[in-house]
Amino acid sequence: MSLPLRVNALSVSAPSGRVLLTCEHFAAAPGETIGLRGPSGAGKSTFLYAIAGLQPKMTGSVDWGGCDLARLGDGERARFRRENIGLIFQDFLLFEELSALGNATLATAFNKTGKRRSIRKTAERFLEKLGVPAERRTVDSFSGGERQRTAIARALAHDPAVILADEPTASLDRATADALITDLTDLARVEKKTFIAVSHDLHLLERMDRVVDITDGRLTMEASPA
Amino acid sequence: MLLLLPAGIAGVFVLWGFRPLALVGALLWRYRWTNLTFVFLIAISVGIGVGLIAQERGLRKGTARAAEKFDLIVAAPGSEITMMFAAVYLQPSDVPLLSGEVFDELYNHDQVKLAAPIAFGDSYKDAPVVGTTSDFATHLAGRLAGGRLFETSTEAIAGSAVDLSLGDRFVPAHGVGDTAEADAHEGHELEIVGKLPPTGSPWDRAILVPVESVWEVHGLVNGHAPERSGQLGPPFDPDFFPGTPAILVHAEELWANYALRSEFTRDDTMAFFPGAVLAQLHSLMGDVRQIMSVMAVLTQVLVTAGVLTGLIVLSRLFARRLALLRALGAPARFVFAVVWAYAATLILVGSLAGLAVGWVAVGIISSVVTARTDILVTASLSWPEFHLIAAFVSLTVLLALLPAFMAMSRNIITDLRA
Repeated sequence: MSLPLRVNALSVSAPSGRVLLTCEHFAAAPGETIGLRGPSGAGKSTFLYAIAGLQPKMTGSVDWGGCDLARLGDGERARFRRENIGLIFQDFLLFEELSALGNATLATAFNKTGKRRSIRKTAERFLEKLGVPAERRTVDSFSGGERQRTAIARALAHDPAVILADEPTASLDRATADALITDLTDLARVEKKTFIAVSHDLHLLERMDRVVDITDGRLTMEASPA
Repeated sequence: MLLLLPAGIAGVFVLWGFRPLALVGALLWRYRWTNLTFVFLIAISVGIGVGLIAQERGLRKGTARAAEKFDLIVAAPGSEITMMFAAVYLQPSDVPLLSGEVFDELYNHDQVKLAAPIAFGDSYKDAPVVGTTSDFATHLAGRLAGGRLFETSTEAIAGSAVDLSLGDRFVPAHGVGDTAEADAHEGHELEIVGKLPPTGSPWDRAILVPVESVWEVHGLVNGHAPERSGQLGPPFDPDFFPGTPAILVHAEELWANYALRSEFTRDDTMAFFPGAVLAQLHSLMGDVRQIMSVMAVLTQVLVTAGVLTGLIVLSRLFARRLALLRALGAPARFVFAVVWAYAATLILVGSLAGLAVGWVAVGIISSVVTARTDILVTASLSWPEFHLIAAFVSLTVLLALLPAFMAMSRNIITDLRA
């Protein structure tokens, strides 16, 4: 599914009303890979969560192929994420007591019956492709790399058009991070997914089609690859 | 089942369309020690509740069973309850005696099938020694478990729980308990010639002797004129009848009991049905039981409220994982379902464990009560306890909607960044 992103006049506020981020315009083409960089506290994750439809208070528009998340309610945003967005977090956020397959197929618990089988098949495919042991062993014994690859399989299991990652390599050592960057960028290209990642990791940013700087809560410039 | 219906409806409504069990299982396992504490608290409160109610019912049935052979008691005017405890449950008491004329009147009454004196006041070790007739022994326990009925005033029959065997000899003490005088009846040795089968009543630890024996060891005439002094059992000679604290009366017909009660309720005698007195006591206990039931449910609800409050705190510990589910696109209702199913599982497991706790507690307490009172208490869990648990489960799983609702309304971003 092709989902171009157009962000216009976006303003994200904290529950207190304080403005956390503004963005006049931002666009991402389907299949494009984009890095978001900037100092800590600049608003990178806030922007990422805004385009994922997770920010409760935002004005303007976050339009994914005609679907403006800023105008949707919580339930509709959740449905959009369920169908179109795969999220990857810095510290993996896995359920330690489940196996890799159990984590990768989390979405079967709340998706419709018809979708459950395809989620499971896709999760198994990605776990195998990423070399993650899918047997019954729980992920609490996994290495950092295995855990993050499990998180990637989880993000891709429902075959989303968009992958959003928040510091995906921050908790990993260099070698593991490099392997993961290769996995992620290759997957995004082969699977034709839009991939937007917040990162300080130059190795990741230089593999992106382009990099956007965020400073003091503003998207200040669109740069070429780092 | 009807009582469980609200819980069932809530479960179907909350879980419809979702498969949260693997996740709930993972969360339960992660916080297993905390969850075990919650389950333990619920189990103990439920166990105490059902145990109390079952025990009260068992005690009621046990006391009724122990009194069922005592159709009508005739005694000197006084307290029916005191006399019932003394004559039926063999609790020591000083009471006035009935004369031989009264016994004779009862013994010769057309409607009376059995009139037996019950003369208590002596003991051997912890066993009350009761003077009566061999007909009473047969009426009380049917066929003997061993030996034969007494035929002389130096013979006795032991209750099933008395630590005396056939052929054993003993000297009764005057009085009962710590104040009993062991050597007061020295020289009046009695031999056990028969053993009663278990009756499930305090009579299991009693020793039955001919009433003549009781009179004789106290230095009194033995109920018979000198020329018939070797006779054992009725008829007694009113002029040589020293008196008896109580007389058990068994009528030819059921209706006659009522006539006899009226007839012998007069200035010099009191007649009462132990069953009716017991029913009054049970009625009083019934009120107490209702209060106990309400208190048991309240205790359970309070414990569960505490557990649910703990769950609210605990759900903050896994708030990040719940926020992850929301971020992955799970509907808010799914998070609601996970937290509710988590709480409902604890409540269900705790309640089932409480059933087991109650069952074990009832067994232990019944044994203790039986050992202490000799009233066979065979309490067991029954429908009222299952109803109580079903009502408890339904009420508390509905209460569990509260922490579920609170978990659902948390801020996703805040929790993700926690």
